[in-house]
Amino acid sequence: MKNITVKYGVDSITKQVEDSFTFGDLQENDSFQAALGFGDRTKALVEGIEQDRGTVIPSGATVRLETAANTKA
Amino acid sequence: MQTTEIILRDNGTLTERVIRERNLNAEESVLEALTEGMTRNLRNVFTLPDWGSVHANVGSTDAVWTVVINRIPLHARFRLSNNVLVPAFASNTDVELPLIWHAPKEVRLAFVVRTESEGDCVRVCGNWLFACDGDNRGYRLPLPNLHDDCLICTGNFAEHHATGQECVTASLEQFRKSKWNADLMRTIEKSQQFFRFQPTNDTFDTLPIAVTDWTTLCDKVSTHIMERVIL
Repeated sequence: MKNITVKYGVDSITKQVEDSFTFGDLQENDSFQAALGFGDRTKALVEGIEQDRGTVIPSGATVRLETAANTKA
Repeated sequence: MQTTEIILRDNGTLTERVIRERNLNAEESVLEALTEGMTRNLRNVFTLPDWGSVHANVGSTDAVWTVVINRIPLHARFRLSNNVLVPAFASNTDVELPLIWHAPKEVRLAFVVRTESEGDCVRVCGNWLFACDGDNRGYRLPLPNLHDDCLICTGNFAEHHATGQECVTASLEQFRKSKWNADLMRTIEKSQQFFRFQPTNDTFDTLPIAVTDWTTLCDKVSTHIMERVIL
């Protein structure tokens, strides 16, 4: 297990997750979603760099989620 | 400049230390690199007569202007539902009205303009509309013509101007005169609970939002632009 901190806007939460927990897992996680109030379309950034969904989140990392821009159909 | 020191150590050995100093002409570039992502907040940069004070968050390559507005011009189609006038953005048959929705005090509206300098002029790079709660959380209002990140689909208007103030003025004028249509529309039910009007003899009064917690009708947002909003 590892600790990660996730920020969305002015809100943040620190939680323990599985070692294999990825950025994609975070973006689809109901528990984080409910706690922070983000929607289905987000991007995950660490130190301002957007991360791939398949990348494992490093232990102790602070992840900033941002609302992803949609495009007009 | 070079200085030479001879050091006598505790164990009796002698060591020569040569220190060479020279000034590097890199102050500005180093400073710029170190402050690349930093921005500065400037409050009350100027005032627009119809809208109020304009604040600026200034970066090294752009500026994000915030106008805290207290109303939204809702030029759209409306229909009467239980004696309450509500928007019908997707309708082609309901009455079209240029109504003004007045925000209750708990809904703080931020109209945001990002500009960049281009040669001798300044360019509008985007307009955003955020609703904020008392703790500065940002929300997307239940309106069409708003992207998920609260970027407004403004339609075309002149994007190059002489100054940042002219960019903000032109953006607000476009915001004021634009019609709201069904582009980027989600469920109309939330819009109709949020934006409600009472027809009176000669005007339309804004009615309170139909739910106790207005944020339940909105989507919470977090973006790099929202981070630069000054309320």
